[in-house]
Amino acid sequence: MLAGAAALVPAAAFSLPPGTVPNSRRRMLQVNGYATDAETPLDALTTYITPNDLFFVRHHWNPTYQDARRWTLTIDGEVEHPIRLTIAELKKLPRASATCVLQCAGNGRGLYRPFVPGVQWKYGAVGNARWTGVRVQDLLDSAGLRASARHLHTSGGDKPPGKVPAFERSIEIEKALEDGLVAYEMNGEPLAPLHGAPARLVVPGWAGDHWMKWLWRLSAQPEPQKGFYMETAYKYPKEPGPPGVAFKPDEMRVVTELFVKSNITEAPARARAGEAIALRGFAFSGALDIAKVELSDDGGESWRPAALDPQHDPYAWRLWSFRYTPTAAGRVTLFARATDSRGSVQPKEAVWNQSGYLHNGWHSAQIEVTA
Amino acid sequence: MRRGRTRVLLPLLLALLVCLPDGTQAASKKKKRAKAKETPVSFDKNLPVLSTRLTPFPPGEGKAIADQACLNCHSADMVRQQRLAEKQWTASVTKMVGWGAEVPESKREALIAYLVKNFGPDNDRFEPVITRPVGR
Repeated sequence: MLAGAAALVPAAAFSLPPGTVPNSRRRMLQVNGYATDAETPLDALTTYITPNDLFFVRHHWNPTYQDARRWTLTIDGEVEHPIRLTIAELKKLPRASATCVLQCAGNGRGLYRPFVPGVQWKYGAVGNARWTGVRVQDLLDSAGLRASARHLHTSGGDKPPGKVPAFERSIEIEKALEDGLVAYEMNGEPLAPLHGAPARLVVPGWAGDHWMKWLWRLSAQPEPQKGFYMETAYKYPKEPGPPGVAFKPDEMRVVTELFVKSNITEAPARARAGEAIALRGFAFSGALDIAKVELSDDGGESWRPAALDPQHDPYAWRLWSFRYTPTAAGRVTLFARATDSRGSVQPKEAVWNQSGYLHNGWHSAQIEVTA
Repeated sequence: MRRGRTRVLLPLLLALLVCLPDGTQAASKKKKRAKAKETPVSFDKNLPVLSTRLTPFPPGEGKAIADQACLNCHSADMVRQQRLAEKQWTASVTKMVGWGAEVPESKREALIAYLVKNFGPDNDRFEPVITRPVGR
């Protein structure tokens, strides 16, 4: 509960820093024309707040964008009195905000070997934004949540075609009550259709598959949601196994928290021996904070700490910078790894899984050093 | 006399009141136009808008089946970026047929062969489309 209290502060107490992504880096990488999927180039992920127009886009299918004037959010299931709210009614409820990372569960899928099917995201299906809306707890309280409710079923408008199963999910009620938000603003602007307008779920610290877009129903239930997207997709191995050997259903669990991870966003391709260069990046985790980011130029034998930017919120990313002076000519590979506030250390290799979720292996940059 | 002056001044005042907003609006429009001209585009305007650049499946036996089976739900990009072994493609086709993809049984093997040939583990031809920022 402490985490939730820390993550949610009054929206008015926040002012956005100016975006500082240079125009030459303001572009997106479209990986799927339709359904629309696009990732952000790493060199555009250099600001604490990711600008809305540089924030990655992930659609499963081709949603019918909701007309905000006709849209309603239904809250039902194990509640004393089901309610239905229009966007105007939702906006009249107490506002709350959280600045935190949203990462697609499949970010980094394209880095797994052997290859696995799905959108071949590399690094940029991630961003850090200020989400504003209404606490899920306030909504469930106003409907009179019953003690029998253990899971919150979520439905959105990512409507699949034909016989494709519906994209429906559920999250444990404790997590939803702790710090879940129904957000209608992103970085101070009304939520855009591509990001789930009129409202989407925000689940700080958890992977994007829980952040239901084009949200229209929250239903408190005693049991988890069933169906393809809960029972087959978004599953991660309970224990690591050999790469390329598919895990059986009973060896898997539902994807929830993000793993500790760091990426290098800026590193010069060339440097001179004896002259200092700067590397920059971001780090985040499913834990509240990042404790340290370290870099290694000897393949992980030894590590030196990067400087962490002071700006931070629970489950948000930390920007970091690292001053490095190469000593001799040749090619240098610098690896970055993060450690979170719970002591989890980013591993050299991510755990291979047949759907390619939650990749968090060390990221590296290569630098050609001349004398 | 007073009444006469009022008769002359009143229409003048009214005319001024009616004219002023028009004049202000025109000036404001000019200012807006000038501002729009001054505002530099914050990205390379030669880049395509997101989701407007689609690449077709490569030619070959099986392309027509892939067009029919895949493109109702997603663009060819979704397939073109894959690097899957035959076993994975077979499983993927089975899954998609279950979800409604139109693949006649007689053409199933040809489709899998086309997918393996073009989008097997050695497929390194896919590049994402560099586009404008979202919504621009």
